[in-house]
Amino acid sequence: MNPTKLRVDHLTAFYDGKAAISDINLEFPERAVSAIIGPSGCGKSTLIRCLNRMHETVPRTRVEGHVLLDGEDVYAEDPVRVRRRIGMVFQKPNPFVTMSIYNNVSAALRFNGRHSREATDRAVVRSLEQAALWDEVKDRIDAPATSLSGGQQQRLCIARALAANPEVILMDEPCSALDPIATSKIEELIGRLKNDYTVVIVTHNMQQAARVSDYTAFLYIGKLIEFGPTEELFERPKEHLTEAYITGRFG
Amino acid sequence: MSEDPLADTGAPRGYDLQVRHLKDRAVKMGDWALGMVHDGWRAYDLSDLVVAQSVLDRATPLDQFDEDMEHAAIAFLVLRQPTAVDLRTAAGLLKSTTHLDRIGRLGFDMARIATPGTGKETAELNRLLHRMDEIVESMVRQAIDALDHDQVDLARQLFQRDDTIDRMHREANQLILEALGKDSASTRRLTGDLLVARHFERIADNACKVGEKTIYALTGQRRSEYLPRHPYRPYVLETPPGKPVGDGS
Amino acid sequence: MRFDRHARRKWFSHAITVLAGLSVLVVLIPLASILYEAASIGGPAFSPSFFTQTSATPCSPTPGHPCSLGGIGPALQGTIILVGLAGLISVAVEVAAAVFATEYRGRGLGRAISFTADVLTGIPSVIAGVFIYTYFVLYDPTIVFSTLTGALALSVIMIPIVTRTTEEALRTVPNSIREAALALGISKWRTTLQIVFVTALPGVLTGALLSVMRGAGEAAPLLFTAFGSRIFFQGLNKPINALPLLIYNFAESPYQNWIELAWGAALLLIILILVVNVLSRLMIQRMVRRMRGQ
Repeated sequence: MNPTKLRVDHLTAFYDGKAAISDINLEFPERAVSAIIGPSGCGKSTLIRCLNRMHETVPRTRVEGHVLLDGEDVYAEDPVRVRRRIGMVFQKPNPFVTMSIYNNVSAALRFNGRHSREATDRAVVRSLEQAALWDEVKDRIDAPATSLSGGQQQRLCIARALAANPEVILMDEPCSALDPIATSKIEELIGRLKNDYTVVIVTHNMQQAARVSDYTAFLYIGKLIEFGPTEELFERPKEHLTEAYITGRFG
Repeated sequence: MSEDPLADTGAPRGYDLQVRHLKDRAVKMGDWALGMVHDGWRAYDLSDLVVAQSVLDRATPLDQFDEDMEHAAIAFLVLRQPTAVDLRTAAGLLKSTTHLDRIGRLGFDMARIATPGTGKETAELNRLLHRMDEIVESMVRQAIDALDHDQVDLARQLFQRDDTIDRMHREANQLILEALGKDSASTRRLTGDLLVARHFERIADNACKVGEKTIYALTGQRRSEYLPRHPYRPYVLETPPGKPVGDGS
Repeated sequence: MRFDRHARRKWFSHAITVLAGLSVLVVLIPLASILYEAASIGGPAFSPSFFTQTSATPCSPTPGHPCSLGGIGPALQGTIILVGLAGLISVAVEVAAAVFATEYRGRGLGRAISFTADVLTGIPSVIAGVFIYTYFVLYDPTIVFSTLTGALALSVIMIPIVTRTTEEALRTVPNSIREAALALGISKWRTTLQIVFVTALPGVLTGALLSVMRGAGEAAPLLFTAFGSRIFFQGLNKPINALPLLIYNFAESPYQNWIELAWGAALLLIILILVVNVLSRLMIQRMVRRMRGQ
């Protein structure tokens, strides 16, 4: 198992005083894909949103515990800086509607500091290539982002997140709004991303978790039930609850 | 979400029925193969060509069982994308059909060499072979039952009995090799006995393999995790059996 | 039986359509007649000098002595200056207020701002004038009647309108855009101003347009503030005229030429508002279409 990139330490997160996740302890290995699965409402989205401090952008929320990136507590740092190291891709593609493809991808660079035009150009091309979108948009890089299809828009959002040069990429059900072909393109790209980034992906699709991830965590009603190498968890889970869930015998 | 998700709600799911269906097929195939072993030995022992023929006629249906079982297991895998226990069960059954097929085939091989007019072996040897047949048929029955009723312990008990059969096989070889050359009339018969003793050993081995797959399906453990591999040596170097083994476990 | 019901429904539907059409006519008729009056009486007043000259001395024509008309130059200039100035003041206040109101939506300050803006949109426009008048009477009576106070009075009317529409526009920006920006490590204020606000721009501009049209057409707030004058802009601290104010003052005078000027001003005001309206809408639509990628 690779060294730990992101460690979750006794994490509990509240919505309106009610705990959505309780006492989660987890270590995500670097340069690997970790999936978080579980039934609806088990807290997977809450957990992932706590990793880059997006959870607290919603009113009446609270977080207890620590999330350590390379050993440093992200909750002791400026959240804006944390989010530059930990990027996020959301369930529904959300490109900036007023901006072109180029401006979307370069958004982080343009808003977060000064970069030369050449450096920005290079970053945009590189990110779009990593997101397997460059070939499709290279002739219309200044076209509005909204002129792309759903699957392309999601890859655009991935490129946008990559351009910010994060170390960790969080994905909250990135394919659930997409058709199977778009989904498989993104799954393939996730497989390549893990060479350079640590990826954490929330998915309600177990087969996707099995296809795409190296490690899987199973959450149930806000608690971590099991975490281990994906193959092991799906072939020989340690917990009865895990087996009941993945074999579809819940309820 | 306050109910226990593990609680049995009573009505079986379609899923569970499919797994049960797969097992039922395997059990049917096992029964068929066991019948071939039982009658195959009888045909050889009594040199009964009629019984032998009935065994030979059962080979084609056996092949069909094998094919159908493979098809059913693969359909289950692709359509259900099972995980954990269901996956292990389907994968285990896929391999088990091969072993059950082998078992039936070995009964077939015994029936094939039924030859009237050859001599008889010694009473001692004949008793030994009968005993082997009893144990081996019982082992096959045990393996099928363990598969049918999800019984891990029943499956585990097969391995000791396999050791017994190995010893009996060695002993049979010994007796046969001593008897060969003394009486040419019974050479044919003794050669047949040699083969049959070996077939019994193979049947026992295959029954064990079926047991292993049941254990894997239910616990996820593979053989190397619970059974130490004993080192093999050529028979001639192994300690000869001291006394005839009357009753295995 | 069924045919009967079907026929009845069709008849009923037709009747309602006719009724709706009639209502539209009822509304359009007064509008059309105003335009007609304005065009027929005010139209002839249009000439190059109309736009540039100051108004002539009041007189009524007698046979053989037609009165000169002069022009409404100062009023036109005044409207432009006042509305422009009020616009500038409003923008500054309104952007801040609306941004605050949306970003602190749940909490006290945001709700207070929203509530205040809502209440102020209903304020009678003359009160706005009186408020500014009173304040300056107490603070610095020398500039009570001035361009500055006129602009302030107009902005009291304009600010709540723009604030509310800007707030609405900001609110219709989907939260996913905010989240996307925040997740990139863009700071909250930058997200709000440079991304959310820009996305809401069409809505904001529409609101600004509405407020400009309102400001251009208000006379009451200017009665006690800008006060009116017969000459061109003299300075921020001096009184100034505006089209609605001129219309108010001249229309009730007994002088023929002044009445003509008033109608001319009215026609001009209607045309100006119409043109500004149409042009801005076209511009905003183009902006929206460009955003949508069409």
